[in-house]
Amino acid sequence: MIRVESITISEFRGIRDLTLDFNEKSFAVCGPNGTGKSGVVDALEFALTGNVSRLSGEGRGEVSLKQHGPHVDRRDDPDSARVKLRIKIPSLGETATIERSLKNPGAAQVTPAEPSIIEVLRQVEAHPEIVLSRRELIRYVLATPGKRAEEVQALLHLEQVEQVRGILQKIANACEKKIGLLSEAVKQATDNLLRALEISGLAKEKVLAVTNAQRATLGLPALIDLAETTSLKDGMATPAPAQPQRIPKVQAIADIRGTLETLADIDSKDTARHIAEVISDLTALAEDPVIKKSMKREAFFMSGLELAEAGTCPFCDIPWELDKLKMHIKAKLDHLKEVSIKREAAEKKLAPLIIVLRKVKASMDTLAGYGALTTPHLAMKTAHECSTFCRKAVERLTALLPFNETITALENILKIPQTVLDAIKELEQVVAALPEPTKLDAARDWLVVAQERLETWRDVMRKNKTAREQAQRARQVSDIYAASSDKVLAGIYASVENDFSLLYSFLNREDEEKFRAKLIPSLGKLGFDVDFYGRGFFPPGAYHSEGHQDSMGVCLYLALMKHLQGENFTLAVLDDVLMSVDTGHRREFCSLLKEEFPNTQFIITTHDPVWLRHLKTEGIIGGKSAVHFRKWSVDHGPTRWDARDVWGEIEDYRKENDVRAAASLLRYYLEYEFAELCQRLRAEVEYRGDGQYQVGELLPPAIVRMRTLYRQAKDAANSWNQKEIIEQLGTREAEFAKLAMASKAEQWQVNVAIHYNSWDNLGKEDFAPVAKAFQDLLRAFMCVDCGEYLRVSPERNAAESIRCECGKTMVNLRRKSG
Amino acid sequence: MTTLPKVQGLSDVPALVFETFLEALRQAGGADDLIIRLRKALLEEKKFTERALKNAVFPEELLP
Repeated sequence: MIRVESITISEFRGIRDLTLDFNEKSFAVCGPNGTGKSGVVDALEFALTGNVSRLSGEGRGEVSLKQHGPHVDRRDDPDSARVKLRIKIPSLGETATIERSLKNPGAAQVTPAEPSIIEVLRQVEAHPEIVLSRRELIRYVLATPGKRAEEVQALLHLEQVEQVRGILQKIANACEKKIGLLSEAVKQATDNLLRALEISGLAKEKVLAVTNAQRATLGLPALIDLAETTSLKDGMATPAPAQPQRIPKVQAIADIRGTLETLADIDSKDTARHIAEVISDLTALAEDPVIKKSMKREAFFMSGLELAEAGTCPFCDIPWELDKLKMHIKAKLDHLKEVSIKREAAEKKLAPLIIVLRKVKASMDTLAGYGALTTPHLAMKTAHECSTFCRKAVERLTALLPFNETITALENILKIPQTVLDAIKELEQVVAALPEPTKLDAARDWLVVAQERLETWRDVMRKNKTAREQAQRARQVSDIYAASSDKVLAGIYASVENDFSLLYSFLNREDEEKFRAKLIPSLGKLGFDVDFYGRGFFPPGAYHSEGHQDSMGVCLYLALMKHLQGENFTLAVLDDVLMSVDTGHRREFCSLLKEEFPNTQFIITTHDPVWLRHLKTEGIIGGKSAVHFRKWSVDHGPTRWDARDVWGEIEDYRKENDVRAAASLLRYYLEYEFAELCQRLRAEVEYRGDGQYQVGELLPPAIVRMRTLYRQAKDAANSWNQKEIIEQLGTREAEFAKLAMASKAEQWQVNVAIHYNSWDNLGKEDFAPVAKAFQDLLRAFMCVDCGEYLRVSPERNAAESIRCECGKTMVNLRRKSG
Repeated sequence: MTTLPKVQGLSDVPALVFETFLEALRQAGGADDLIIRLRKALLEEKKFTERALKNAVFPEELLP
């Protein structure tokens, strides 16, 4: 996507004013702890995304970007806290600047504000993962499978994929649940219809036969077929409006008997046993305070999930991104899986009781309707009450919580009041006392009721059919989606797994060349097992060292980024990610970056100067592509080992007659520079296990080595008969010797006047020539064209040449053979 | 080391999943209008709410 040319940081975090020129190349920021390295990383992240992850998100307490992003002395002036990046967009061949201030982190000023550039920057903003710190890295490795899945999903932007999966599944489940309810309605409508038709099964021939018998009584023509719109009473005269509606005696008696049978069902031993079992289960759940509380929480979260459709929390109105809010609630629900299983089991047991209650309610409503047709009217108050009771019981059993109310409702189901039975009996007597209808009336009643129930049956059947079709479609969509996303993700994970294994085994090829890893996605989790020396697959934290875990994290990150961004993986910021990886493996890591990610600009922070040298010698970064912070102060921010700054600072101290401070700085600077020179020239230095070399241990070997190299170069030139080169080398050698002599550095061990321990005792006039001599000496190690220190090439095995970064210095060290 | 295979880059994994899904749905005999509606919701309007997806699966149909 982009490469960074330069960054300018003002009053941001611990940095007052700093400009670094990356020149679109990989770059290292080195320095001891607390010198401001991470401030550079934060500034990069801020400029690209408007956020600093270490100041936001989970576990950051009261720390916030806006409040704590500006330099502590400018905390009330967020506008002064600014970061400006100059970037190159390779795909567009364009250069642009992006600037943000902490006053309004979300508003980036982009110049030029071309839509194509803004689109690229928008994509970058959506990929904060280009910045990787050790803290984040370890999340991929040591997290629990569920948490790791979240991290990897976030990196691959899979929230939407999982969200859609969840919703499609929910729709399919809801459709199937409704089929269950409609199936019962179909059964009930069928029973009612059969009762009206006075037959035992809904075969077309039987229906036509009984219907035509009634129609014949009325002199109506027989129905030949029973189509979807056929009316059983087709051709029958509609009763005049004034004519009072009569009770269809035969049907009413059948319905009363049906109702009594249903009530007898409730009163049966089987139902009583079933109810007792459900009550016992619910009582057990109610007595477990954890389950009780968890179910309440589950219901609460489920409501939240349903209500979360806008950009704020439905409960507290705090602004959220909808995706993140839903993920947040879903994560909470995932923790309640066990509760969910228990709830579903209870609901399953309650389902048949809900069906019976609905049936009783429908029967009571029918009987109450007959009561209204009697003369005088039978109030059927208890039937109405029973219907209301059933409706409320259905609602209660469906709600499930609170348990005590559901248990009470269940206990009451068994207690069908005698008054209800009495009312039904009274209705039955009234209906029985009705005069027998004439044959014509009976046939008319029969056809009216049968048609009414046929229409109800047809309506329910239509709804049932539609529901089944919808459920089938929803399930198909959901299943195909799940299979498709699994297939895509399994493909990605398989590739990532393979690349991860290759990267890690490269880093550790000395002893883990056959290393393999397994990424195992399952039900929203992502297992991650790694091979341990052929003994089996285990979680990374089980047997591997911390250093190995760190390198696993960075390899997994690189494998994921490669798959996520492909050719667009042009920038990555690695913040001290190899902290616990040893020197040898860091060298391999350099080779890995160079070989596998040649087009990626890496901005790397480290506290380890040795790794900085590796980065340089392995060619990850050029000689000028690094900054080495030497100290940090709250007033000035980081100070770098920059020749101009250091010599200026030494001179300032000297002028102030603070020779002690000037001498101390010179000593530290020479230690830093001669360590670099000894590395570059492959000088022979007495080994120190702690790596803490003093200037007296580095300076003489560097001078000796340089002189040896000049001699070797002259000898080589002589073998090739290159007289002109011999002459040039002689001049350089003489100049070098003069400068070395001026610094008296060669006499380091014997001449106390040049020994740093004695510098403190010098006057400011005495110290000036000391400082100048060393400044000149350091210049003698540089290329006169590019100003970079010379180096011996190659880094290992026989020395072949002395080179510089710009290529203008190229001195052969190999003699002509023979 | 064995050089890693080159990959195109999956800057938009969700889009890849959605395209794969729609193609699989088409191959499974999913109705054209259903696929068009789902494409609109998932890839064009990027609406991932329950309401949007329900409308895509059951347009103007009364849910049972």
